[in-house]
Amino acid sequence: MSDLVVLGLKLLFLALLWLFVLFAVSVIRTDLFGRRVPAGQAGAVPAPPLPAAAPAPRGRAARLPTHLRVTAGPQTGLRLPLGDTFLIGRTADAALVLDDQYMSTRHALLTRTPAGYRVEDLGSTNGTFLNDTRLTEPRPMGIGDTLRIGRTTMTLDA
Amino acid sequence: MDQVVSSKRTLASLSMLVFALALGAAAYLMVNLNQFDGELPANWPVAVGLWAGLGLVTWLVVRLRLPYADPLLLPSVFLLNGLGIAMIYRLDQATDPPMQSGRLQLMWTVAAVAVLLAVVLFLHDHRRLQRYTYLWFALGLGLLLLPLLPGIGHESHGARVWIRLGSFSFQPGEIAKIVLSIAFASYLTEKRDVLALAGRRFLGIDFPRARDLGPIALLFGVSLIILVFQTDLGMSLLFFSLFVAMIYVATQRPSWAILGVLMVVALGVLGYTQMNHVRVRFESWLNPFADPDQNGQIISAQYGFASGGLFGTGWGLGRPYLTPIAKSDFIAAALGEELGLVGLFAILLVYLIFVARILRASLAAREPFGKLLAAGLAFVFALQVFIIVGGVTRLVPLTGLTTPFMSQGGSSLISNYLLLGLLLTLTHQVRRPQPRVSPEEYPTASPAVGVPVVVPSPASPDVPPAAGADDPTEVIEAVRPDGPPTEPFAPIDEPPPSVWARLPRRGGDDA
Repeated sequence: MSDLVVLGLKLLFLALLWLFVLFAVSVIRTDLFGRRVPAGQAGAVPAPPLPAAAPAPRGRAARLPTHLRVTAGPQTGLRLPLGDTFLIGRTADAALVLDDQYMSTRHALLTRTPAGYRVEDLGSTNGTFLNDTRLTEPRPMGIGDTLRIGRTTMTLDA
Repeated sequence: MDQVVSSKRTLASLSMLVFALALGAAAYLMVNLNQFDGELPANWPVAVGLWAGLGLVTWLVVRLRLPYADPLLLPSVFLLNGLGIAMIYRLDQATDPPMQSGRLQLMWTVAAVAVLLAVVLFLHDHRRLQRYTYLWFALGLGLLLLPLLPGIGHESHGARVWIRLGSFSFQPGEIAKIVLSIAFASYLTEKRDVLALAGRRFLGIDFPRARDLGPIALLFGVSLIILVFQTDLGMSLLFFSLFVAMIYVATQRPSWAILGVLMVVALGVLGYTQMNHVRVRFESWLNPFADPDQNGQIISAQYGFASGGLFGTGWGLGRPYLTPIAKSDFIAAALGEELGLVGLFAILLVYLIFVARILRASLAAREPFGKLLAAGLAFVFALQVFIIVGGVTRLVPLTGLTTPFMSQGGSSLISNYLLLGLLLTLTHQVRRPQPRVSPEEYPTASPAVGVPVVVPSPASPDVPPAAGADDPTEVIEAVRPDGPPTEPFAPIDEPPPSVWARLPRRGGDDA
């Protein structure tokens, strides 16, 4: 091959290498800001249901909830099985470790009783809310009730 | 309610990938054209076809399984890997008969891509890795110390960092680097509040308590063991710096960084004064021409860069094979000779883009584990490129590390593709559409009711003292419109200075 062709190919290759870098930078530039779209169009994740006052749970003893589901907040979609007790908090031995600034080390505890689950606040700093009422004493919690801690809301599933 | 969505960038990522694959194939073909005077080897369609197929299949699987994964990671990696294989193939041609390490490297790439696809298919959420903190620690430290075991440990080029089983040799430090990043990230996610909060103030900087120094002391000990028994200053510094960087990111305390840098300096001084091996490396860095026999490799690399000049000699037209181990440690010198300063800088920019994308994912991550993991992996990757390219170009003393995705060697390729799989998973989780939290839903913290008053929690009476360190650092309450705040609500203008100074500075990172 002639020297001219060799030189041309060499410079062309280097030019293309730099073109790759420039394209990559332009992808980064257009990618800097995510698009903001209305909730309905985003598709992949359904909008979290607003915590609403639920109807009084029926047949609680007959149908005990088995799972706790996070419906809003940073860990939306998380679904965990309930045991005899279910501790929510920052501590490593909690059943649900929430990524939430408002969370205390041992925040709230769900306990199984013959009549269904009962939730109590363990003296948390920022409080636990059952159907938007701050817990001051242990309360029964069934399917349809909404539990909120900080920015996270949870419900119980069968 | 609005949602913030990162685009999938399907078209951008596919066209960038095709561009990268084409550049890799073009490099291979140009080696052949320049070496054999315009003739291509008979099997070139097979090699190029395998290469292109590999890239496109990987892209398709990643696109289907992790649609929101970062669009630039895969193309950058394939570009670096392609240029690496082409250069190894080019160096093969220097011997007669030609060696087959270029072909072997392509086969290793196939194996590494299989590992990548396994991670992509089976991991799906990086947060699953967070559960096994101490298992990761044990595994990582075990892998690091494995080459010291008699029987399988194996010394080569003055550093005992290899294990050999039969005819197969492997560098476990490459995998340990990823495993330990995961371990540090999950450990620090759990402990960062303690590490950031407690401490005493000295010279205007908050220093940690003596009993919180346990982990950093342990890591310093391990680095010391690597330095003394494996005689590998580079690896030892890499792991220790990784831990220091991650603890700094997690706690946002300069004291940890200062402490860490002092310990790094101590490691360097110790290596220099106590170990002949390290002193030789320092000498060949500062004054290579004083002893041309001993420093032949680094001198040859410098001459290679010089003869390459700005635009290089062109693929296959230089003499990079004169430098010993040009295929692995000194591949940057070979590329600098044949592609010149212009080409080498483009390659370094691709590395920079790769690291920048990981750091971007770290910034965008919404949970601390992902944030720390991405930051740690970005740091250790960037530091490795810096150490080896800096060593080859005589910016820093040379230590034998691989150039990620380019150097010859299966263990390096496989562990770096493992890292890529982890990063693709992480970026997918980070960029996925997430519901946006709007303040109206949370009346407790709502600015609509009144200006929120921030009260440092140590002053608040309802926090049990034992749990204080790990609890939320502030109570956020709204001012009630019907009257001034009562007892626990301290006025915001005059916080008690002693308590205020001890609060961790959270730059709104998880808010």
